[in-house]
Amino acid sequence: MRVLLAEDDPMIGASLRHGLRQDGFAVDWVEDGRAAELALAEGVHDALVLDLGLPRRTGLEVLGAMRKNGDTRPVLVLTARDAVADRVAGLDAGADDYVVKPFDLNELAARLRALLRRGSGRAGRLLGSGEVEIDPATREVRFKGEPVAVSPREFALLEALLTRPGVILSRAQLEDKLYGWSDSVESNAVEVHIYSLRKKLGADFIRNVRGVGWMVARAGVHR
Amino acid sequence: MTSIRRELLFWLLTGLSVAVAAAAVGTYFRARVEANELFDHQWQEMAASLTDAPFGAAPDGAAGSGTGADALVVQIWDRNGVRLYLSQPQRVLPQHAQLGFTDAHTEQGDWRVFSALAGNQVVQVAQPMHARRALAASMALRTIVPLLVMLPVVGLLIWLIIAQGFKPLERVAAAVAKRSPSLLEPLAERGLPTEVQPLVRALNELLDRLREALAAQRTFIADAAHELRTPLTAVHLQAQLAERAATDAERRAALGDLKAGLERATRLSEQLLTLAREEPGVAERAFAPVDVHALARDMIQEFAPLAAAKSIDLGLIEASGPSGAPIVSGDAEALSTLVSNLIDNALRYTPPRGRVDVAVAREGDVIVLTVRDTGPGVPAAERTRVFDRFYRGAHVDGTRERGSGLGLAIVKRIAEHHRAEIAMGDGIDGAGLSVNVRFPATAPASAGETAEAPGPLGPGRGIARSAS
Repeated sequence: MRVLLAEDDPMIGASLRHGLRQDGFAVDWVEDGRAAELALAEGVHDALVLDLGLPRRTGLEVLGAMRKNGDTRPVLVLTARDAVADRVAGLDAGADDYVVKPFDLNELAARLRALLRRGSGRAGRLLGSGEVEIDPATREVRFKGEPVAVSPREFALLEALLTRPGVILSRAQLEDKLYGWSDSVESNAVEVHIYSLRKKLGADFIRNVRGVGWMVARAGVHR
Repeated sequence: MTSIRRELLFWLLTGLSVAVAAAAVGTYFRARVEANELFDHQWQEMAASLTDAPFGAAPDGAAGSGTGADALVVQIWDRNGVRLYLSQPQRVLPQHAQLGFTDAHTEQGDWRVFSALAGNQVVQVAQPMHARRALAASMALRTIVPLLVMLPVVGLLIWLIIAQGFKPLERVAAAVAKRSPSLLEPLAERGLPTEVQPLVRALNELLDRLREALAAQRTFIADAAHELRTPLTAVHLQAQLAERAATDAERRAALGDLKAGLERATRLSEQLLTLAREEPGVAERAFAPVDVHALARDMIQEFAPLAAAKSIDLGLIEASGPSGAPIVSGDAEALSTLVSNLIDNALRYTPPRGRVDVAVAREGDVIVLTVRDTGPGVPAAERTRVFDRFYRGAHVDGTRERGSGLGLAIVKRIAEHHRAEIAMGDGIDGAGLSVNVRFPATAPASAGETAEAPGPLGPGRGIARSAS
């Protein structure tokens, strides 16, 4: 899952990027409202973590413009103002959730996962297809009920495919989910991860559609 | 406790009583004079009417009328001085007659005596003085009795009228009693007597200042609490990352970040404290002569290592022209803070291999402290706003530096305290920023009372301040 982080404080921004990456998110960090709008326009992020006190364009302005443009991606607001009126203003402007500073990294990650889950129309926390089941919160993968160890990038790839089962994702789309701007992407990285996953989860679990991309079957099809 | 009402009543009644007493005394003496004149006149008439009446010798004591103590006593002598008649033999009167009015004194008291020739006889009429006095006294008494009776009534009236007069004061007192720090509306000034209006107006002005001071304080606390959240959030996250660290190297890096975060939080809280201390009326320290040049030199020495670490050329520009030590009257500690904040600010935003100049000069009576740098500068439009608390200009985006937004606010507050003017201009060679602080060469003794009206909240107001 690729997340855009808009936070103007260098220390908070750096810590959040680091922490969210540890939790398996691909994170892009911008420090002002205008940069946030430019990044959102790329359309590659699954969610936005938005500080309200941004320079150039405030968080509320970014949020308002986003919703006006019909952008429905989940937005989690970071706010230092904990008065009810401030929180209401954020939610009214179209935020899906908020945390008040100072907040807990684990809580932020959990709320972000919940937003992404709801955004993809799921109620439960598990994703699955066939005999493979993953838990985005604990980052556990089970194959035929048995836990399987995967790398963070492999998990991110699996999560991207399982979030939209039955849909073919191109290499570019998968790379977008896996890497932030500052990450260097090796040319055959996606193939390497898929090769590794096929070894662990069965050769036919991830299907390749030549020249188009990869997909997993919709849940239940194999059962 | 003194009561204006009781005092007024007391003095008004005392005055009235004195007036009544004076009236009584006056009436008494006036009445006595009048009674004398009246009686004397009557006697003259009577004597005149007796002029031709012959009196035969009459036996003593045969006189009929009036033997009372106040009654008239009549004596008649013939030409040879033989008494023909004495109306009240038991009376002791002068045995001789002097024609006309006389006052006589016998063992029976004072007498008013009138003697006249009537044919061949001398007729003498005498009356005890006390009779006349009694008459005068009773006249005087009749005059003042109604006044005395009226006195308590007048007292009651005064009491009630004063009470009525003080009603507006009581209303004002009740209105003031209802005020609280959260409810400081002005008192109604309409319908008040002219004597009370100045008080209420002064109270309203005080309430105004109080309200402003409280609002400023509340805003400051809210802002401060808000501003503290940012470094605390950072510290919280950095601590969590240190916890999560899987390897020693990761942990070391995380702890390094955490330390930097703690330093930032500490610095912000220190600056908040400094700003709070420099609030007008909080801590009044005595003003003393301060050599700004020496102060600048000390501060440059202090910042030299930091400047060297950033490869910034930090130096002091020697004053040229008519010199003499640039002495200002001020609070040395606060002035150090001012200079160090300006240098700190300049170093913070000036990129490596830049330059920061500190200059102290005298322009006539004014001492000018200038800090110039080769940093990004401040756009003209923002040059007043950067002195606001927690204001961080958009211009700092280029640098990684992130100040507390308090440094210049503290500088401004200290400058105001010293009646110094502060202005921003272009920095070295038209690039960067320069900050000018212009001190009056010898600040007036009352420098503490600058900037704002004497703060209503300030404890320690009125502490003697040494002047130089």
